[in-house]
Amino acid sequence: MAEKLLRVEHITKHFAGVTALDDVSFSVDQGESMCLVGENGSGKSTMIKIISGVYTADSGDIFINGNHYKKLTPMESMHAGVQVIYQDFSLFPNLTVAENISISELLSTGKKMVNWKEVKELAQEGLDKIRVSIPLDAIAGTLSTADRQLIAITKAILADARLIIMDEPTTALTRREVEALFKIINDLNNQGVATIFVSHKLNEVRQISQRTVILRNGKKVLDQDAKDLDIKTIEYQMTGREINTSSIKYSKSDTKSAPLLKVENLHLLHGFFDLSFELYKNEVLGITGLLGSGRTELALSLFGQLPADSGKIYLEGKKIRIRNIFDATSRGFGYVPEDRIREGLFLPQSITDNIAVSIIDTLTTVSIFLDKKAKKQLSDNWIEKLNVKTPSGKLPAKSLSGGNQQRLVLAKWLAQNPKILILNGPTVGVDVGSKSEIHELVLTLARQGMGILMISDDIPELMQTCNRILLMRRGKIVNEFIREKTTEEELAKELVATDSNNH
Amino acid sequence: MFNKLIKSNEFLVFLIIITLSIVIGMINPAFFSVATIYDILRASNVYNLMAFGLLLVVILGGVDISFVAITAVASYGTHMAMLKLDYQGGIWLYFLIGTAIGLICGFLNGFLITRFKLPIFDLTLATQTMLYGFSLFFLGATANFDLPERMVGYYGKYLAITEDPFIGTTGLHISVLYVLAAGIFVWWLLKYTIIGRGIYAIGGNREVAKRSGFNINRITMIVFVIMGVLAAISGVTQSGFQRNFSPTLFIGQNLNVLASVILGGASITGGRGTVIGTFLGVILTQLINRALILTGIPVEWQQFVIGVLLIIFIAIPAIREERARKVGHTTELSEEQA
Repeated sequence: MAEKLLRVEHITKHFAGVTALDDVSFSVDQGESMCLVGENGSGKSTMIKIISGVYTADSGDIFINGNHYKKLTPMESMHAGVQVIYQDFSLFPNLTVAENISISELLSTGKKMVNWKEVKELAQEGLDKIRVSIPLDAIAGTLSTADRQLIAITKAILADARLIIMDEPTTALTRREVEALFKIINDLNNQGVATIFVSHKLNEVRQISQRTVILRNGKKVLDQDAKDLDIKTIEYQMTGREINTSSIKYSKSDTKSAPLLKVENLHLLHGFFDLSFELYKNEVLGITGLLGSGRTELALSLFGQLPADSGKIYLEGKKIRIRNIFDATSRGFGYVPEDRIREGLFLPQSITDNIAVSIIDTLTTVSIFLDKKAKKQLSDNWIEKLNVKTPSGKLPAKSLSGGNQQRLVLAKWLAQNPKILILNGPTVGVDVGSKSEIHELVLTLARQGMGILMISDDIPELMQTCNRILLMRRGKIVNEFIREKTTEEELAKELVATDSNNH
Repeated sequence: MFNKLIKSNEFLVFLIIITLSIVIGMINPAFFSVATIYDILRASNVYNLMAFGLLLVVILGGVDISFVAITAVASYGTHMAMLKLDYQGGIWLYFLIGTAIGLICGFLNGFLITRFKLPIFDLTLATQTMLYGFSLFFLGATANFDLPERMVGYYGKYLAITEDPFIGTTGLHISVLYVLAAGIFVWWLLKYTIIGRGIYAIGGNREVAKRSGFNINRITMIVFVIMGVLAAISGVTQSGFQRNFSPTLFIGQNLNVLASVILGGASITGGRGTVIGTFLGVILTQLINRALILTGIPVEWQQFVIGVLLIIFIAIPAIREERARKVGHTTELSEEQA
């Protein structure tokens, strides 16, 4: 293997005076699996766009298969075998799987007519190459995220990809789906296809990559074999500071008093059944399970969005009914959704308005008019408390980074002073620095007396923050773990065991 | 396969047509006759021609407002020119010239939309006003009844004739062949050509269609040219039926045609729709029309009924989606129960 598949040398790129990339060099071998790691804004997206020809570097050289490109165009990049799988997967939601896979290939042959037999054969051939089976006639928009991702990968393979770049491919996948994806990536690597995997999920980085390149503030700070790396080093190199996870230890929960929330025999058709559990003041209760185990349904049910069909809910010993979202919010339930961008925020609206929206009725003066001063005070207070990084509350919410948006969703709910806060995947898609800040915040809230339900399949996260962890499987609670009496390994085994028993 | 058929929108429309027919027939047995079928088809033909064209625009992700004005300009424009030339021949020359005018109008729409990246709705709203204005001002302000000699009998050109005790002599009008030809052409275009797949692709995800290498401008042009041509054929046919040429032909009918297309299962947001669905949608609209006359329900109810049906049809996909979302997540659970 004399010639590297891809070499980038001394790449520098500025945007309006900001240096996005500063003299970055690295290379990828044939069939190699590399991980490109960095916090948001570290320059990894810019790097990918330069390799795929979307951006042109200010200076530096790119070599693909030994050919030198000073100015790489998207077409040249694709012809050289570079395929990028973006987070939206670039699919047509209204078309079938077969057509989605084959269409680019058909277009590139310049044909005018569609031969449906050929479309299906081509698609099947592609799917066979990565050894997965998805019904060819299914409409792409109805499939799971994992399946849509596989379609995108198949498309890339059919386009004779030599290097597949995946941007945060595991964000919306369950653990089982991640395992399946990693197997496919391994397979591809063995067939000589190189992969660049962009991620900030550190365990995955260690699991999948042979080599890890870390960018920080546009500079390459580390480039070495993955097997010599530990998570601490990766974290340190990503953030430039020590992240002290062990300091977030918290175990006191007020279990002697009456439970804050008690749930008995809760049922939801197609969602979950016979759920009973208690949540105490000062407690962080983890709920874990694979995607589809009913964990999200439970959260939505307690929040009134998918009201349970039967069962009893007691709040501070009093029986209550939750029939809609208003029932839940008026009794002190707060919910931070999984898809915070879509469900949690009004992105074009200002940060201040976003914080104030859930308690808007308390901000009115004697008349029906909004008390602007009170609104600003409230907003400034939360921006400061939660350390939201913004020059002004007047800016739209979409101007914030992912981690800051997550904090904003929290602020919105905390402004209501909830007794019970339900967090669904609170750190999905959040980089490691912001993640530990969010964990810290959750613990602070619990210390102040709130009861917190944390839904997550991120095991280290659960182990760091929760007092107890309930494991859900097929709509039932199948196990309860006390944090002190279990280990990450045991929990991980139990989570995955869910599946192996059944196949 | 069978399951898929039953769940399809087309099947639902078909069921409604059958049910409605039975109900009308029970109230008024005169409804059950060949003449009724011929009559409904005859009334549907001109709408089907327009609807097939509009279907393409809707799948592409747009709504054309101007096609009704194209029917007027193409038919009325041709007629006024032919009058000057004292043409006395058959309708075929009208079709030829009308089609050319329709093609030019469609091309104009397509050109303006692609060249200046204009929203389809806005631009065609403008060209509709412009084209009706043009036909009223430049061509003439009133309907003209001077038909060329050999065109007079066109409205009664039947492929088959039937005697009906209630309706009298009627038949299967020849224009059903145009609908058949146009329907097959549009179906073939959508299903078997790269252009057709491009229309679906653009309606499904415009950005990805561009990235995948579809020539969006060319496809948009083609769609509007077909729309223009079909509108022109519809306009000439309708003028032949009613035995006069009007500068305001089909004015105000554009949303009714759109309603038929939506009833037929096309998605107003693009990416979805079929020829057979559209055909059934038009038939259903005409059937409701007829039903109210035959059952003696005041004609004003027609609008109301179609409106209610539209609400139901728009709601169905939304309800399905909502259900899917509610049930969808707990996949493990459903696996076990299945």
